[in-house]
Amino acid sequence: MIEVNDLWKSFGENHVLKGITLTVPRGQTYVVLGGSGSGKTVLMKHVIGLFKPDRGSVKVDGVEISSLTGKALTDARHLFGMVFQGAALFDSMTVFDNVAFPIREKRRGAKLDEVRQKVVEKLKVVDLGEEVLDRFPSELSGGMRKRVGLARALVSDPQVVLYDEPTTGLDPITTDYVDSMILAAKQKLGVTSIVISHDIASAFRVADRLAVLYDGHLAAEGTPEEVRANPDPYVQHFLSMWFAKQ
Amino acid sequence: MSRLKAALEDFGQMIFFAFEALAWAFRPPFRPELVLIQMAFIGAGSVFIVGVTGTFTGMVLALQGNYAMKQFAAEGYVGGTVAISLARELAPVLTALMVTGRAGSAISTELGTMRVTEQIDAMESMAVSPIQYLVVPRVVAALFMFPALTMLFNGLGYLGAYGMGVYVAGIPVGPFIEHTRGFLVPDDILHGLVKAVVFGLVVAIITTWRGFAATGGARGVGEGTTRAVVASSIGVLVVDYAITLIAVGT
Repeated sequence: MIEVNDLWKSFGENHVLKGITLTVPRGQTYVVLGGSGSGKTVLMKHVIGLFKPDRGSVKVDGVEISSLTGKALTDARHLFGMVFQGAALFDSMTVFDNVAFPIREKRRGAKLDEVRQKVVEKLKVVDLGEEVLDRFPSELSGGMRKRVGLARALVSDPQVVLYDEPTTGLDPITTDYVDSMILAAKQKLGVTSIVISHDIASAFRVADRLAVLYDGHLAAEGTPEEVRANPDPYVQHFLSMWFAKQ
Repeated sequence: MSRLKAALEDFGQMIFFAFEALAWAFRPPFRPELVLIQMAFIGAGSVFIVGVTGTFTGMVLALQGNYAMKQFAAEGYVGGTVAISLARELAPVLTALMVTGRAGSAISTELGTMRVTEQIDAMESMAVSPIQYLVVPRVVAALFMFPALTMLFNGLGYLGAYGMGVYVAGIPVGPFIEHTRGFLVPDDILHGLVKAVVFGLVVAIITTWRGFAATGGARGVGEGTTRAVVASSIGVLVVDYAITLIAVGT
């Protein structure tokens, strides 16, 4: 379980998070919706310990991530896999080396056959075959890069997977495909997921619980039905951008 | 005033970054394979440019030395003076400047691109220290390769001076070699090598830091690289002055 409690963060005069509190139950997919610059990515980077809060805490299974430093923080990060907005694949490495990276770093000296088997297995989860193993990220489409990014996030069997804008910049068919992957990762591997997104359609497809972030606060929080029924004017305006078109 | 404050803050952060790199250098896991890759890039990759610079510097020094010494009928001293100038000053400084231009700029650009495309964040999220994985191998490689390249510069520079002095300017071989033996002592070589090690540290820290501190997109990376090359070059000259002052005095 992930517990974010009264989280505050500012960058100079820019107050990005103003007392965020939320709980992500184990094995569920939690989507944080919000417009550009609402602080979604900053919130996610606190969860994995890339940022330190000015105030408040982040706990994962009772361990306070926000207070860890050095080796303890490094060890705690083995709990997570993160899928970045632009996939963030290492462009000097092949797909195989990218996906194998977390295994090789976690268990130095791991046998090549064993690593290869694991890499191929995770690529299968995201519906990619062995033909992509020797390709470089620059030789992949945007959708394939996201899938390789997800395979890399899953390869060390994390308990929590964080998705930063997983569908941004993708065509509708690939978006649908990425949504299916997020659901498949939850169902097949039982991982807890946090998805940061401004894609309302995608959010309502994959979420067990949702929050809408606005101006550093949670404007709404609950199940997709509860959030849709929330009377907050910003939430209604934000959701109407998509639901009005349906 | 605010620009000065920002510059001082940036300098302070870079010093902190350097200490972090130092601390990570002694913590396992050690990655000798990454150090070797960086040695090949910084060292082997710079052999041509350093070799050409060294050879031509030696040739020019011989011609200029011959022109000056001829006034006193002391052309035989050219070999010795060129050897000392190369060993103590020109080889370490020019090597550092050439490697900054070739490898330092590439290091800054590569790490800057990794920063703005979140590859460094990705590495951190996978429980791998980017400082240990990306910075330490480059710093260690620079500490070994700058002195090695400086020795290459010394050797080819002296050969260039010999060829130009003996075969073009007509300086007799005997005095050219004898005065070199007489003037050049191991301390001169050591003085240059100490400088080279310190320059390697300065250039590696500045260029990796500028990559890590890059923000924005392609423009931010480009600005970071420009700042890396300018700061490294100035850093080399300032440190050169400081070491010379300490070693030689006023």
